[in-house]
Amino acid sequence: MRVKIFFFATLREYVGAKTVELEVPVQTTVAMLKELLVNKYPQIASTQKSIIAAVNSEYAADELLIPTDAEIAFFPPVSGG
Amino acid sequence: MDYPTITTITKLELDLDALIASVTLPSTGAAAIFSGIVRGKTERGNAHETSYLEYEAYQPMAEAKMRQVAHEIRKRWPLVEGIAIVQRIGRLYPQTPTVMIICTAEHRDTGVFDAARYGIDRLKEIVPIWKKEVSPEGEYWVEGEYIPKSGE
Repeated sequence: MRVKIFFFATLREYVGAKTVELEVPVQTTVAMLKELLVNKYPQIASTQKSIIAAVNSEYAADELLIPTDAEIAFFPPVSGG
Repeated sequence: MDYPTITTITKLELDLDALIASVTLPSTGAAAIFSGIVRGKTERGNAHETSYLEYEAYQPMAEAKMRQVAHEIRKRWPLVEGIAIVQRIGRLYPQTPTVMIICTAEHRDTGVFDAARYGIDRLKEIVPIWKKEVSPEGEYWVEGEYIPKSGE
């Protein structure tokens, strides 16, 4: 299945794109997708521990199965205000 | 009755008077306001100067999480009437207001001060907005410390 991933802040700069579309197997979890991205973009490996995932605008646990047509975002801890 | 809840991300200058008016009801007698401002000179901790801050947001999620913060405020402080949570994004220079949190109520002893404080603290935990600090020495992304839990 195809997923659309948004990156923000440091991750956007490391990846060099705001969005990336990827083909992933069904039954892919958030953790698996993170792993896949770290392999594809080794420059984000150093920040891996603090990468936050959101699926369809909700914070997502590593074990969450990614639903079809999901909008996914990866970003560092937020710093608004 | 439905109390006004304003949650906005904007590139425009923040208008405090208009914002207060938007959360003021006939019954309102108190408004607690917090505003964050770009600090040009930092003395505490790592002393440094700031040229400007560059804000970005994951807009649909940020607005949803702002509505969630407002909902949490209402659950904790049921006497709060109006709530406004507004974040300005883009390039913002020292002495410019960046965020405004307003909670209104009939009286000041209703928890409005704590409610506004909770609003800014919670925004800094779960609302997906980031800022890059640019100073004469270089630039870096400011990162928070909070890792939100699943479904939070």
